[in-house]
Amino acid sequence: MSADVISRPRSPALPAGTRGRPRRDRGRVLRLYLPLGLYLVFTLVPFYWMLVFALRPAGSTTPVPWPITFDHFATVWNDLGYAVFFRNSVVVGLWSLFVTTVLAVMGGYALSRYRFRGRTLFMVVLLCTQFIPGAMMLIPLFTIFKTLHLINSLGSLIVADTVFNLPLSIILMSGFVTAVPFSVEEAAMVDGCTRLRAFLAVVLPQLRPGLIAVGSFAFIHTWNNFLFALMFVSRQDSFTIPVGLSYTIGEYSADFGALAAGGVVAALPVVCVFAVVQRYLVHGISAGAVKG
Amino acid sequence: MKMRMAGAALAALALAAAGCGSGSGSEESGKTTITFWDNNGGTRTPIYQELIKRFEKANPSIHVEYVGVPIASVQQKYDTAIAGGDTPDVGGVTTSYLANLVGQQALEPADDWLGKSAVNGKLATPMLDSVRKTVPDGKLYVVPNTSNMDVIWYLKDKLKEPPKSWDEFFTDADSLTKAPDEYGYTIRGGAGSIFQILAEMYSYSGLTEFFDSTGKSTVNDPKNVEFLTRMAGLYKKDTPEADVTNDFPKMVAQFGTGKIAMMHHNLGSYNDHVEAHGADKIGAFALPPGPTGKHTVVANPVDGFAVFKSSEHKDAAWKFVEFLVSQESNSFWNSKTGQIPANTDAQNDSWVSGLPHLKTAVETLNDPATAVVSPPYYLPQFSSITKADTEPLFQKVLLGQMKPQEFLDTLAQKLTDAQAEWKKAHGG
Repeated sequence: MSADVISRPRSPALPAGTRGRPRRDRGRVLRLYLPLGLYLVFTLVPFYWMLVFALRPAGSTTPVPWPITFDHFATVWNDLGYAVFFRNSVVVGLWSLFVTTVLAVMGGYALSRYRFRGRTLFMVVLLCTQFIPGAMMLIPLFTIFKTLHLINSLGSLIVADTVFNLPLSIILMSGFVTAVPFSVEEAAMVDGCTRLRAFLAVVLPQLRPGLIAVGSFAFIHTWNNFLFALMFVSRQDSFTIPVGLSYTIGEYSADFGALAAGGVVAALPVVCVFAVVQRYLVHGISAGAVKG
Repeated sequence: MKMRMAGAALAALALAAAGCGSGSGSEESGKTTITFWDNNGGTRTPIYQELIKRFEKANPSIHVEYVGVPIASVQQKYDTAIAGGDTPDVGGVTTSYLANLVGQQALEPADDWLGKSAVNGKLATPMLDSVRKTVPDGKLYVVPNTSNMDVIWYLKDKLKEPPKSWDEFFTDADSLTKAPDEYGYTIRGGAGSIFQILAEMYSYSGLTEFFDSTGKSTVNDPKNVEFLTRMAGLYKKDTPEADVTNDFPKMVAQFGTGKIAMMHHNLGSYNDHVEAHGADKIGAFALPPGPTGKHTVVANPVDGFAVFKSSEHKDAAWKFVEFLVSQESNSFWNSKTGQIPANTDAQNDSWVSGLPHLKTAVETLNDPATAVVSPPYYLPQFSSITKADTEPLFQKVLLGQMKPQEFLDTLAQKLTDAQAEWKKAHGG
């Protein structure tokens, strides 16, 4: 863990009698903080407007959400069925995260540690699957799921999303496994561990950034998937959040308050996931990128 | 710590597993279950839920399973369901994509059923004609529920008297524009722009056919070109600059700020305007008449219900359709959405005359002098021609990068070619 933390030299102590903070380096402010501040404003303004629309009463045109109302949240949660959609999204997202991560670890380990005929070709094929848009696979997947009696169940979404998440996840994970020296695993086996035991005891704990990166991507991709959620499900109680969001814009009317409130509900779990795991995520991506 | 995390993960998956189980349901025993897909799910969902409750009370042996399909994806949803062989029993369908569904032989004709139905003779003839004209074999594949009409919405505190002609309209748009941010009009320059400009052009020119006797499109008629030149001239002068990307939600949102005096849309956005301004602050007038002084209306798509060919419960499905277009249900549905009922008895209900914008629309449509122009919804390419092919070109017209004549010539050529292809395919 300590290797993940970059230590920064401490600032020299202020001379006795000095009051307030040391003078800022104006050049640093202009070079670093000003562009970052502008970028932050550019990025956050849409979120601010989403919050304003979600929290101010319908018909209000004020740029601040005052007086605050939670009516739009009540509308999406109760009238539009977000209570059910949210639960379904959580179910599909967690299952997809779990299955994708487990399979990606197994596939990534095999690709990293074993040399077998067709390995490179397999990697290329995995990459190529990323170029096929989901819409092209709709009809074949629909037919397969219908044969398996998975249409209209959350199972179809879990399977479809997992399958689409897997190629990139396996490639990413193989990079993370490669970054763990095989000699460490060998040492564990010399000490009497089986290969599985050595993997679980020695390799897996070191894959934590990779597990978090792959799991987060799988969850977020599944959480946001609208196409599969609408096409493979035709039951009102099995739709997910993205379908619910599209309910707020009708043919002749648009409920912006509900749309914004729905957007907040949809974005909140993703923001929370990122807030918790971003430290591992950034480290994980860079580790996988240079050692793959 | 690790144990706690593992416990939390397991608890989450257990919850997930519980959720998976609850996602599937079983049919109620002894009841016929039919599935109904609402083609504009969301805001209309509570209306259908109420109607289904009433229907199930009157028909205890039938259970209706409601599915709300978002309007933006309904065509793709139907296409996927048809290809996968998993269509609903009853679905909401509009004439804008009816030809596509009929082309895939997915729908059951309603002519025989209507002949024996209690609602026979009670559905508005123009709507029935519009549905029949959409398909090559002239059969009734959709039972009309509602239709719409284009109007110009205006703020009463800005515009005291609605214009009686297009000349007056252009004068008003100019005089109501006040720097820095008040505008007389807003143009729909983004998604959906072509239908609106077609409605305006034919209303101005008074042309009553989309094609002449030789099959050539009338879209580039000199009067239409004249109108488009005048309308494009309003851009940035009497309209916001952002209009070039205006789609329906942006346009309604702009009008909702109170900075725009007039906006062209149909009756369907009534509730949005009431929410933004209050019912007493808004008014609507039919698109001004052309040179003859008579109204020319480009017919909006008719929205209704279709029974799918693969339905295993067609009797129950037709029963449900009959219930939905009966006077009481049709009146209830349209009073909630602010649109024109298909049931003629419902058109005479008191709530229609109580809503001035709807009264205006019904009076205009029922006026014998009004000419109704039917767009060629039956052309398989109509949607792509009026959307993907020409919407970007219309934006070029607004930005001054393309001449109105050139734009309309392009549009006319595409429609003429599509019409010729369609005629050839259907032995015309």
